[in-house]
Amino acid sequence: MKEDERRLFLMTCIGGAAVVAAGAVAYPVISYLAPRKGKDDSGVVTIPEKELPSDGAKFFQFHGKAAVVVRKMDGSLSALSAVCTHLGCIVRWEAKQGEFLCPCHGGRFATDGKVLGGPPPRPLEQLKVTVANGVITIG
Amino acid sequence: MTLFGKLYNWVELRLGISQVIEKEMTGYLLPRTINSWYSLGSVLLFAFALQVVSGILLLIYYVPDADKAFKSVSVIMNEIPFGWLIRLSHAVGSNLMVAALFLHMFSVLFMGSYKKPRELQWVSGFTLLNLVMGISLTGYLLPWSQLSFWATTVATNSVGAVPVIGEFLVEFIRGGKLVGPPTLGRFFAIHVALLPLVIAGLIAAHLFFLKRTGISTPPTSDTATAPQLGNSYRYEKHEGGIPFFPNFFLHDMSSVAIYVACLLGVVYFSPYLFFTPDSFVPANPFQTPAHIKPEWYFLANYQILKIFPSEIIGLTVQGGAMTIIALLPFVDRGDKRYPLKRPLFMACAIGGIALFLALSIWGHLS
Repeated sequence: MKEDERRLFLMTCIGGAAVVAAGAVAYPVISYLAPRKGKDDSGVVTIPEKELPSDGAKFFQFHGKAAVVVRKMDGSLSALSAVCTHLGCIVRWEAKQGEFLCPCHGGRFATDGKVLGGPPPRPLEQLKVTVANGVITIG
Repeated sequence: MTLFGKLYNWVELRLGISQVIEKEMTGYLLPRTINSWYSLGSVLLFAFALQVVSGILLLIYYVPDADKAFKSVSVIMNEIPFGWLIRLSHAVGSNLMVAALFLHMFSVLFMGSYKKPRELQWVSGFTLLNLVMGISLTGYLLPWSQLSFWATTVATNSVGAVPVIGEFLVEFIRGGKLVGPPTLGRFFAIHVALLPLVIAGLIAAHLFFLKRTGISTPPTSDTATAPQLGNSYRYEKHEGGIPFFPNFFLHDMSSVAIYVACLLGVVYFSPYLFFTPDSFVPANPFQTPAHIKPEWYFLANYQILKIFPSEIIGLTVQGGAMTIIALLPFVDRGDKRYPLKRPLFMACAIGGIALFLALSIWGHLS
């Protein structure tokens, strides 16, 4: 084997070993740094119906984001994402007006998520909600 | 021309990198008789870098709050992917780093490399050893376990033996009369900010001294002596020596690989070698566990304090020994570097190391 070939072979081996070693270091470090999945990041969320005020809304975490369940005028329930569709602020329940207000730029939403005013381009995302035996199930 | 070649040329035109490589790497000549002990400096640089990186990673999940610290360490160990690997690498790494520092110091002692003109390297190196022991001590409290809490209580308590201001010093270090949440805040700041900065600065100074004096020649013959200082600065050249890169660089890398193998060997096969059962119980200020002992490298100090009836005598003995070691190049001023030509020094050094080991074993068994 010529000297140049031997040198190339050795360099390739060292380079390969370095790549494997870098991977062996990078994999645990990236896994360590990756965002953690919370306990409520998937599946459904259950809330006892008595925890929902008659004229109010109940905020909770759903799949890692803020969500809200509210009783509508007709007595049925509505579950929505609480993240404003304008710039991602969390909406606030205005009991007197019976609507949601985004305190960042004044976006207003109805209890079914529709935009009533302000800059939000889309309605709030609706979530599936059911009630059985006094327990509200979202998702 | 390859893309790498073009990039190299671009940088070369602007910074003259080839000159730097020639001066610091391929043209930086080392003595032909250089041995593996000389690579311990590179091993320690690597060990320090690993402690910094693993420490930064731990900071992401560690909570420096007395109510949450233990839980956060448990979460790192049990829930975060590879958290156990990062945390154990940091904890085991601190112990191995102290061990490597001792070996580095012993090699310098036996080869007489601390002698003129390298007095500043010795003083900065010995200060680094003490700072690393200090950073280990402050890091010991952070998991807020029974071991952390009570070992820190004992360690900080010994400062109380200092005459007149002892009690004030203890309270100042702890941030209160007893070890508690304020102590954790102080130790956390010292461990993650103050000491790493001071250590990094002192490492830079240590390397600067090395670059200015030149590397010492191993004393392989009985005629080996420290160079005479003339009237002007002189760099110790090694004409006809081996280049740092690639020759000794590969040697350094082999030593680093051995260090990593030892580290991972402990992490994987004996992960709790440096942990006692009290490390797994949250701190309880109202329940002192039996037989609280410091880390292995403080066992000799711990035993000295136990031997002497008065704490102040124990502290004075330790302070005296430390001062002599720190000022060694100014105490041992002979020119001879070959170990067998320094029988008195070698007897004292070997006797000192044996005493340190005996006190450590006694402290461990007592």
